[in-house]
Amino acid sequence: MSQHHSQNEIQHYYEGDQSKLYSGIMQHHGDINSSESKKQVGRIWKVFWILLVVTVVEVILGMFFSHHMPKALVAFFFLALTLLKAGYIVAIFMHLGDEIKSFLITVLIPLTLFIWFIIAFLADGGFWLFMNSTSPTR
Amino acid sequence: MSQATATTAPETKMWGGGRSPFNVSYGKIMMWFFLLSDSFTFGALLIAYGTTRFFSAVWPDPNQVFKSFPFMGEANLPLLFVSLMTFILIMSSVTMVLAVHAGHYGDKQGVIKWMLWTIVGGICFLSCQAWEWTHLHSEGGWWGSFTDASTPISAFHHFFSPHKEAVQAALPAHGMQATHDFFNYFFTITGFHGAHVTSGVIFNIVILINTVNGTYERRGHYEMVEKVGLYWHFVDLVWVFVFTCFYLL
Repeated sequence: MSQHHSQNEIQHYYEGDQSKLYSGIMQHHGDINSSESKKQVGRIWKVFWILLVVTVVEVILGMFFSHHMPKALVAFFFLALTLLKAGYIVAIFMHLGDEIKSFLITVLIPLTLFIWFIIAFLADGGFWLFMNSTSPTR
Repeated sequence: MSQATATTAPETKMWGGGRSPFNVSYGKIMMWFFLLSDSFTFGALLIAYGTTRFFSAVWPDPNQVFKSFPFMGEANLPLLFVSLMTFILIMSSVTMVLAVHAGHYGDKQGVIKWMLWTIVGGICFLSCQAWEWTHLHSEGGWWGSFTDASTPISAFHHFFSPHKEAVQAALPAHGMQATHDFFNYFFTITGFHGAHVTSGVIFNIVILINTVNGTYERRGHYEMVEKVGLYWHFVDLVWVFVFTCFYLL
């Protein structure tokens, strides 16, 4: 009996199975047709419709309206809608919203470096254009 | 036995060892950290693209560059084809998350069905990208294209907005360099993303074969589906940003 147990342990290590170490979502195997399961499937499809509608709004904005609006406003709309879509994908599809807070923070904090990256590099690009042209056309 | 009780006693300590403090398995944590590092690679590429665009006096108009649709000839259909590509990728992300969901419930047939649809979606997306690359290549765009100083303006003026006089006036001086930069970044970034989609499809096929063979059923869980699922959603996530940076802004 004990031999069987230790073999099991070794197999678990080889397969990278650490399910004994956490009580994650993998541990409950319910019925796929249960109401709880159907509720989660419903949530997935709801997010699909949100992503689809946001994309359609973006495309319509890009096709018909973006040329008649101030550039900064267009950029703001597109970036806000993009971050909204990204948020839904990460939180619902990648289940980051279902993880515990300390893991969420561990993943998200390094990404705040992007705020500095984007500001620093784009500002540098704009400054280069300012220094090297007499009449910027953009 | 006393040893067993000794190890279970400090379980309330999150970081005391003997359990995952993040309540996530090692494999999933490492997949997240890999994706985090990959997001910085894509971020660096997209920020470099943005920087070049900011220091260019003119820039191609996406509504002019991306206005073709297969079998529609010269019809002016801006953004329509890329919308289809985006729809395909979002759809395949949904089928992937449904495969992960079926895996949570140990539903082998469900995993097989949704993994198959995900693979079909990935192949459709790659086919669309192959068409778009071929089309843009036929218009003269490629890595290192538009460098010959004797290139006539007519070779690239149709990539720019015809409605902006200032842009049209600046084309002789700046148009060719901007077109050159645009296509270098376009093929590099969509190529890097396409390489991710390709490896994602291969991972998905491997996982599908394992599922069909019952590997995960014997293991007792479908966590591998979840791990490649994370990768696949990340590919979709990157596309959301590529779509905004290249086609919308």
